[in-house]
Amino acid sequence: MVKIRKEVVLEARDVSMTFNQGTEREVNVFRGINFELHAGEILAIIGPSGCGKSTLFNIIAGLLAPTAGAVHVGGEVVDGARGHVGYMLQKDLLLPWRTVMENVTLGLEVRGTDPALAKERAAGLIRSYGLAGFEEAKPSSLSGGMRQRVAFMRTLALDPKVILLDEPFSALDFQTRLVLQGDVKRIIRDRNKSAILVTHDIGEAIAMADRVLVLSHRPSTVKSIYPIDLGVEGDDPIALRRSSKFNEHFDVIWSDLDIQVSATA
Amino acid sequence: MASTMTRIEAKPARRAAGSSASASKARIPIYQTLLIAGILIVWEVLVRTGVAPVYLYGQPSGILQKLVALTASGELFTHAGATAFEAILGFVVGTTLGSVTGLALWLSETVARVLRPIIVAINGVPKIALAPLVVVWFGVDIGAKVAIAASLTFIVALISVYQGTQEVDPDLVKLMRSLGARRLTIWRKVIVPGASPWILATMRLNIGFAMIGAVVGEYISAKVGLGYFIYNAGALYDLNSVFVGIFCLMVMALVLDFLLVKVEARFKW
Repeated sequence: MVKIRKEVVLEARDVSMTFNQGTEREVNVFRGINFELHAGEILAIIGPSGCGKSTLFNIIAGLLAPTAGAVHVGGEVVDGARGHVGYMLQKDLLLPWRTVMENVTLGLEVRGTDPALAKERAAGLIRSYGLAGFEEAKPSSLSGGMRQRVAFMRTLALDPKVILLDEPFSALDFQTRLVLQGDVKRIIRDRNKSAILVTHDIGEAIAMADRVLVLSHRPSTVKSIYPIDLGVEGDDPIALRRSSKFNEHFDVIWSDLDIQVSATA
Repeated sequence: MASTMTRIEAKPARRAAGSSASASKARIPIYQTLLIAGILIVWEVLVRTGVAPVYLYGQPSGILQKLVALTASGELFTHAGATAFEAILGFVVGTTLGSVTGLALWLSETVARVLRPIIVAINGVPKIALAPLVVVWFGVDIGAKVAIAASLTFIVALISVYQGTQEVDPDLVKLMRSLGARRLTIWRKVIVPGASPWILATMRLNIGFAMIGAVVGEYISAKVGLGYFIYNAGALYDLNSVFVGIFCLMVMALVLDFLLVKVEARFKW
């Protein structure tokens, strides 16, 4: 891995978010969040439940405006949803009345790309990532893993600068999850994309990310950022987990997360 | 691969379980026939023995005779044709306008909020209470019946299709927004197709409402139609003819529903 100069593609500067400000139902979700995402990097964000991970994503995507601070993507302040980031959620959110092909081209269609060109690009993605022959299939006939793959292609089709992965594998069974983690990581690397992954799964964060950012309890702040080095090249999820450093990282992050396991929880 | 294997293994078991279920299913039409035949026989016997007077209850054999006579003379078709025409025209006008309005209301939450109490109030009014207005505005001809059927189906379609737009997964809307889609694009690509199952469900409900509208309109004032025919026969204590009319409405409802199920099947995804 040769990284001479780290180009910053996304930057969060003092981002704070308070819901229902000034009312008695005021909720201070997080305050003063700062981090950077470098080109070609996968950054995982983990934190206790309710720490506002999804809210942070909505702010990055431009769906929500922060109470204070700003997110910059490619040097520009995010001030609305412009399709500058690709968004992938836990639910695949495929449109059931559309075929695989039509689902992959959805974002391009919204953007007004020439239909022939959109189809060509989608067909390339579908072929490269193992869904050839399913172009005309409806989502209802696909397995959960295949559906999530289609959702990922829909995200890639727009060629976004930054990909936001909001617990995209948590609805899948364990084996499918491992395979998809490996595939998604490989594809992000191959295409030289940058991604932020929100997850509860420490193992997933370590196996996929270059750095893991740990958020504190609400109101959340950035507690620490851990660079991950497993000493293993490649994206084979099993080999990565076998690395002796995997468990070291796991233990450090686990204790940092400070999850209280008590009978009253 | 794994999923194909389990599917193949699961098949024989499912078929075995299905065969006993389908055997008892096959007997259902027999039970239905027996039930209806039983009711008709008891009814006929009660009337023949004088327990129930024919001018109050009608008589199955008499109903059959009337049915044959009215069919042969073509009178029944004239009435049924008029009612079907009114109901279908009212259904098409009301359901189309109601569905389009229900879909369009998604576009502006403000407009939807402003209209909500008005819609609820209109829905709560028994449409028969509007009869004097309808007669004044549309006269006593076919227009009045179509108007009643259309107003009934309009409000049902409006409410349930609007509900359908609200049931579309908010995350789908969020996804579209994150892609940079405008409200109208989201409406066209997600809301309208997403609410289409509600449109189809509404259509099936509305066939019934449209027939109610047409028949009620004919009760108020008409020279032709099954509602007029039933009302007239009732006034003359010709209960056999009343039952012929009711039977005819049932058949019409079944036929129209059957046609809609066919339409619905073509739109399934």
